[in-house]
Amino acid sequence: MLKFLMKMTVLMMIFSWSVSVGAAGPEAMAEGVSAESTSSVVSVEGAAGSAEEKNPEKKLTVEAIVNKANLMAYYQGDNGKAQVNMIINDYEEKIEDGKKKIVTKNTRTREFNILRGDIEDGGDQNYFVYFIKPADVRKMVFMVHKHADIDKDDDRWLYLPSLDLVKRIAAGDKRTSFVGSDFLYEDVSGRSLQEDKHELIETTDEFYVVKNTPKTSQSVEFSYYNVRIDKKNFMPMKMEFYDSKGKLYRIIESLQVETVGKYPTVVKSKVTDLNKQSFTLMEFSKIEYNIDLADIFTERYLRKPPREAVR
Amino acid sequence: MELRELISSFSIRHYRMVTIVMVLVTLGLGAMIPMIKTDTDPENMLAEDEAVRIFHDQAKKTFSLSDIVVLGIVNRENPDGVFNPETLSRIFELTEYAKTLRWPDEQQDGGGAGEVEGGRAAGVIEVDILSPSTVDHISQGKPGEVKFEWLMPQPPKTAQEALEIRDRAMSNPMLKGTLVSEDGKALCLYLPLTSKDLSYRVYKSLNEKIASFDGPEQYFITGLPVAEDTFGVEMFIQMAVSAPLAMIVIFLLMLFFFRKLVLVISPMIIAMVSVITTMGLLIGLGHPVHIMSSMIPIFLMPIAVVDSVHILSEFFDRYDPKIGREKTIRRVMHHLFTPMLYTSLTSAAGFASLALTPIPPVQVFGVFVAVGILIAWLFTVTFVPAYVMMLSEKSLANFGSAAAHGHEGGRMGRWLAAGGRLTFVGAKGIILAVLVLAAVAGWGMSRIQINDNPVKWFSKSHPIRQADIELNQHFGGTYMAYLVLEGQAEHGLSSDYLEAVNGRLDKAVEKLSQDYPGAAELGKQAKKLFNEKAASMGDKEKLIEGKASVTNDKEKPSEEKAAAGNDKEGLLGELIVALEALAEQAKSDDDYDAWTELAAFFGLEKERLKIFKQPEALRYIEQVQRHLERATAGGGKLVGKSNSIAGVVKKVHQELIDGREENYRIPESSAAVAECLLQYQSSHKPNDLWHLVTSDYQKANIWVQLTSGDNKDMNQVVATMEKFFKSNPPPMPMQYRWAGLTYINVVWQDKMVSGMLQSFLGSFLVVFIMMSILFRSPLWGLICMIPLTVTILLIYGVIGLVGKDYDMPVAVLSALTLGMAVDFAIHFLERARSTYSEKGSWQLAVVEMFGEPARAISRNVLVIAIGFLPLLAAPLMPYKTVGFLLCSIMAVSGGITLLVLPAILRLGEKQLFKRIEQPRGMTCNCGFCIVVSLATVLVVALNIHQYAVVGWSKLTWISIAAVPVMALVCSVISRRQACKTQEIANRADEK
Repeated sequence: MLKFLMKMTVLMMIFSWSVSVGAAGPEAMAEGVSAESTSSVVSVEGAAGSAEEKNPEKKLTVEAIVNKANLMAYYQGDNGKAQVNMIINDYEEKIEDGKKKIVTKNTRTREFNILRGDIEDGGDQNYFVYFIKPADVRKMVFMVHKHADIDKDDDRWLYLPSLDLVKRIAAGDKRTSFVGSDFLYEDVSGRSLQEDKHELIETTDEFYVVKNTPKTSQSVEFSYYNVRIDKKNFMPMKMEFYDSKGKLYRIIESLQVETVGKYPTVVKSKVTDLNKQSFTLMEFSKIEYNIDLADIFTERYLRKPPREAVR
Repeated sequence: MELRELISSFSIRHYRMVTIVMVLVTLGLGAMIPMIKTDTDPENMLAEDEAVRIFHDQAKKTFSLSDIVVLGIVNRENPDGVFNPETLSRIFELTEYAKTLRWPDEQQDGGGAGEVEGGRAAGVIEVDILSPSTVDHISQGKPGEVKFEWLMPQPPKTAQEALEIRDRAMSNPMLKGTLVSEDGKALCLYLPLTSKDLSYRVYKSLNEKIASFDGPEQYFITGLPVAEDTFGVEMFIQMAVSAPLAMIVIFLLMLFFFRKLVLVISPMIIAMVSVITTMGLLIGLGHPVHIMSSMIPIFLMPIAVVDSVHILSEFFDRYDPKIGREKTIRRVMHHLFTPMLYTSLTSAAGFASLALTPIPPVQVFGVFVAVGILIAWLFTVTFVPAYVMMLSEKSLANFGSAAAHGHEGGRMGRWLAAGGRLTFVGAKGIILAVLVLAAVAGWGMSRIQINDNPVKWFSKSHPIRQADIELNQHFGGTYMAYLVLEGQAEHGLSSDYLEAVNGRLDKAVEKLSQDYPGAAELGKQAKKLFNEKAASMGDKEKLIEGKASVTNDKEKPSEEKAAAGNDKEGLLGELIVALEALAEQAKSDDDYDAWTELAAFFGLEKERLKIFKQPEALRYIEQVQRHLERATAGGGKLVGKSNSIAGVVKKVHQELIDGREENYRIPESSAAVAECLLQYQSSHKPNDLWHLVTSDYQKANIWVQLTSGDNKDMNQVVATMEKFFKSNPPPMPMQYRWAGLTYINVVWQDKMVSGMLQSFLGSFLVVFIMMSILFRSPLWGLICMIPLTVTILLIYGVIGLVGKDYDMPVAVLSALTLGMAVDFAIHFLERARSTYSEKGSWQLAVVEMFGEPARAISRNVLVIAIGFLPLLAAPLMPYKTVGFLLCSIMAVSGGITLLVLPAILRLGEKQLFKRIEQPRGMTCNCGFCIVVSLATVLVVALNIHQYAVVGWSKLTWISIAAVPVMALVCSVISRRQACKTQEIANRADEK
């Protein structure tokens, strides 16, 4: 089933295009995570042709940039696996001695394994998410068959062990919260490139800045979002969502990028929702690419998850 | 008296200087008025450190709760109500508009307008808006599908779609009654605000937007925050209208009585000057003008006018061009100085006593009215004579009773004379009638209903009041209260707890062994590990307890105790880490699985500590809610709706299973509950959950919607629940507390009522002491208290009989009653005594008394009673109440003074007047001393009781001990040489 593609990718990116840029922007929260620059920046060999690499700025069209970024973020390798530690926090801005201070509260955590199998680079792919913690939702599974075709809705399943239920999640709105975090379902499986109009609005020494405007505005709560894409490896490092009043309200950042095998991989990413005043951190560990994976992305594996998903 | 001669001579001689000083003082203090800061928040009726406010603020923070503006939309033209495409699209537009109602946060960052970008703005909290387009709907999709979607992502295009939206909303118990009316015809939007003092701004903006719609819909905006904030705004407008209006009416009435424009101007000047200086002083000292203090001008005006009316009245009656204005005013001042001083002191004391109530704005109000009264007195005794001096004799031509009506004083004079004769002839009848009335009033008072509701501060025709009536008929209620349940975790590791965990572990291992052959052995290892760790932790805990008992430090141990409370979590956490490490090292997949399962067992134990994830706790909440919704008053349901985490779990469970009604229930296991909760968080608004439970699941919030904001109704709900909690203990230790604006109002009302009662008792005693001193006799002091006692009985008796709620304005007016009624009594008795000594018998004196003195009282009554009638037209209920009560208080206290006092004097002529013939030094009167001491002790006791939390028993002992001491001191003083000689002299005189 899985087509073997040359390029290996990191599963990391599963969650959105998040990638981290060195210094966090002004909106970055001051808590814990220090935004470090990528420890090792690797130039991408396969995806971007060598010709483009020599003269990238002039030649690349905006379509090429977003395509590369899409592959970088969601399609590294043929498949991938990682353990994810998710930390959700509310925050509060306080002004003390004239200085803004961020106070975090109501921390809750989730831990799950995530498996990804690509069917075609830049095309269909599958996800299998197996929950480990909190212990009372252990063994819960969330599965997606993502369809790149804009007219075909993704298929989504849910397995709830205590209620002993397999439910399909109805197609439609994918912009709901992923298990209570600030990530949305659409961030998990990726937003189809065909849904937005792309414009290259700025090119800096380090980044391409692409503005994405939805072709139909009805199904989404944002009016547009900007993505900063690392020029060296096409990793999306920061996404900023603006509402209908032009107000920035949501930010996704890649806080730390490491090379796993030969794939640049985001190992820490963060979403901040300025309206809800909350942010979610995701830390990835036990990252593996191109594992020996049977076709586990079927309904019968929901109740009896494969060993790859559990361990 | 030296003082009175001194003051009046001074102002008569230096009248220009007196005037200039007064004008300068007024201008100086008046200049402060533009610095006015207003505070219209009834919450500030309670001090900021009041326990209930602290808890309320905490609860708001803990559950991110906000004060809510409720906007209801009704469409009566359409058979489907608002569920048609046109109305829904307007509602959609209105919601989008409401989202934009945000302004730079002035409080937080000193007006940094640019801050809006970063989310630092004040106004409507977009993420928490409840509206069809901002709430999530969970439902069944195709078979086997569960669906999360916005209830109304876009306005519907067809009538059919509109009805589908209705059906969806009606099928969701969380929305029915809250978002959509019970009958499925109307909708309500809930707009939470960052701060409730923005309510009026939001209210106005919404109304502007609504005005731009055409369509058959009706819009209703209400909620306590809007009512309170709007009241604050309208109150100031009302004040600006009412106070001058009352002034004008008073002015016209005085002109009617005294006929001389130039002369009548002086009381007006006194009133204005007193109001301006008092308000200037209040504002200048940095006090914000609260709902209470905004009434200061209205209270001050009648009192300020009274004294000058007395002067004018007497001046009017005595003026004779032959004697000249200077002599006349001197004589008038001589007569009136003492009564005026005492009336002002007593009125001031009455208001100052409000400083004893534990409610800060009432304290400020009381103190400043008292100050204002003294200022008015000072200006009256200095400026009125000075003013008279500034007039030429010529301008007073044709002035005075003599010129106007002959000596008898016209129609009023004739009526009063007849009244005087009546009191002489029918004294017994009058007393009897008053006694009967008082008895009836006493019964009426016992029926007084203490109640208040800020929404009812508006008259019934006001849009906010109408919205309140309309929306509470169709929805769960626009009044919010929060019932917070808090788990009381047991500290440390009890042997019971360890035993229970061991028991559950054994069972889990047994089950595990069926799947994994090696599990029994691994289970044994895990159990050993658990008990070892528990034992070592238990030792640590004992150590902490030991330390605590040695240091006896009250702060520290509780902290360490709290840390010990996390022992369970800590122990389980350590175990999970250890078992997971073992799993990683496992050789076989089976062993890995077994270790993982064991780790998960302890993980589940950890989740078990989260109380409000447990099915038993949720079922208890369910029970609490059922009981809440059963609370009734007079057959009507009080709680229209309540929402809680239990409701969320039930609804999600229902839709996850199959959507059938019977699955609207709490699932059996805590893991199933956790799955439901996690699914709920997979909506558009995951954080909605945190309004109902804290993220550690230790506290749960039940959002209670009441259809009535009457304090008595909230009280009823509180009482019902108290009973419930007593007879239905929770399945695990937890405590409950109330928060929410509706509840806060109850608390300050309780404080106000008990505070007012105590301060009233206090001022009653103070006035009594002052009267006893003034008349050198406790008996006369007592008589002086009769008119005000009867007046209060009658006024409050009628309030009780009529069924009018005893609310804030009514409570405050008791202080005014005391001040006004005693005023008349002092004037009357003081004059009665001096007239009696002139005439020698009451029969002769009474004729004189019902001449000029009675006229002064009657004029005062008429001027003020009629002067405040325009308040009845005010659209705000507290103003109406004040207007009505002011009228009644003046009329009743004037009437009682003129009827009852002469009747008593007639009946007790011998006993009463014998004493005043031979006045003795008051320190020589032992009885007087004792009575006054007793009263003083009581006053002190009352004060202490209000401030320190001293129980009555302790206080009683102090008071009882104080009385004999004072009596002893008394008798020593009254037996000293000076008294003896005086007594001998008196005896000699008698012979």
